[in-house]
Amino acid sequence: MTFFVHFWGTRGSIPTPGHMTKKYGGNTSCVEIRCDDSLFICDGGTGLRELGLDLLNRGGRPITGHFFYSHTHWDHIQGFPFFTPAYVPQNTFHVYGTAEGDRRTYELLSGQMRSDYFPVDFGELRSNIVASHLDGGARLIDGCAVTFYEQQHPGRSWAYSFVKDGIKIVYATDNELDLTLPDPKSVLTNLSAPRPIPDAFLRFCHGADLLISDAQYFDDEYEKKVGWGHPRATTVIDLALQAEVKQVALFHHDPMHGDVDVDRKIALCKERAAKVNPNLVVFGAREGLELRFG
Amino acid sequence: MSRSVGAPGTDSVWAILLHAPIPTAGAPVAMSSQKTKNDWNDESTSEISVTLLPLSTEQTHSVLEMVQGPGSPRHYELYRPEMVVGRAIDADVPINSTDLSRRHVLIKRAASGQHQIMDLESRNGVFVNGVKIHSATLHDGDSVQLGSILFVYHEGRAT
Repeated sequence: MTFFVHFWGTRGSIPTPGHMTKKYGGNTSCVEIRCDDSLFICDGGTGLRELGLDLLNRGGRPITGHFFYSHTHWDHIQGFPFFTPAYVPQNTFHVYGTAEGDRRTYELLSGQMRSDYFPVDFGELRSNIVASHLDGGARLIDGCAVTFYEQQHPGRSWAYSFVKDGIKIVYATDNELDLTLPDPKSVLTNLSAPRPIPDAFLRFCHGADLLISDAQYFDDEYEKKVGWGHPRATTVIDLALQAEVKQVALFHHDPMHGDVDVDRKIALCKERAAKVNPNLVVFGAREGLELRFG
Repeated sequence: MSRSVGAPGTDSVWAILLHAPIPTAGAPVAMSSQKTKNDWNDESTSEISVTLLPLSTEQTHSVLEMVQGPGSPRHYELYRPEMVVGRAIDADVPINSTDLSRRHVLIKRAASGQHQIMDLESRNGVFVNGVKIHSATLHDGDSVQLGSILFVYHEGRAT
């Protein structure tokens, strides 16, 4: 069994093309997770367009894919109308809600293709698009256990965990982790002190081979953006350390951050991690990067 | 960084266009009260009929610089669309080290001009900036480690 994780879009909030973001990329959230022959797609931001083109280049077999959306804010759904495999009749895509009858994601995906917004209607997509759901919080898809966790974000968001044969990948973006701390204001009294992450989320992430986490802000930036739905990057390091994950990919880069800023954010996070566990691998998610597990 | 008058670069280009001598670095620049074509104090701009000059077609290949390994420092130009780095004598970039698999890694130039690096199921893996990868798009300054061999990737200039 082998997992592949490919980053197609790592930017938060809005696409940011240009030379300032060449290294980490300007496309919004989209991560492909392949587990043997199963295809899981986490979020459909603008990075989804290139994933679609790549899927079509991989061969003639019909594609079955499983979409897991963290939530339906623009930067997580805008790529879907440009996802070419959705126009091919032989293909099937499952769009998951978190509970039976939860068709919110499906409805919003189709809604953004109304003629007011896009020239092609959702009904003209030729592939089989199925509104599906995770049964009571978990579902076994081709032998891979998929579970979700409700996060802290305006309008709600969900993290997903993918586990098969002892390999665990967690996708957790758009999560204001700092607001879930027992005493969020106490962080300011000593920024270098460990921040206790709630047990439930620690359990959800525990032992992950890879944690992909929203890590949008520097410490000083966060103070002006409390309630915007994103964490301090340094708090994500504390999550990774306390949950004993092996690698953490800093994700959902701020649109105001150029490559130089992201590099600096990563360096600060590595420094914080190394004081506690030098073996924790900390890196910045960037477009075109593919990791292999197993 | 500042640049002195007469240093190679745009000043030289302007001097050529104006048919004026190019002052050398460190040499005194003659100043005159008379108006000349390269009078730095002249605030007026001459209107000329611009003849477009040929664009530069210079192309420089991207380079893998070996900074640690047998025979380092060494530079390997990535001059072909696909190049294999490995221990095999017939690899495009042959490295005589048992740390490497015979065909360890493929470096491929994409249509975009960017280079992609792919692990060819090597025994000891491929690390880009300290992260074990299966494949990645390379950017200027990235470190690439194969076993105990360390490279730095330098992006070239494509036409």
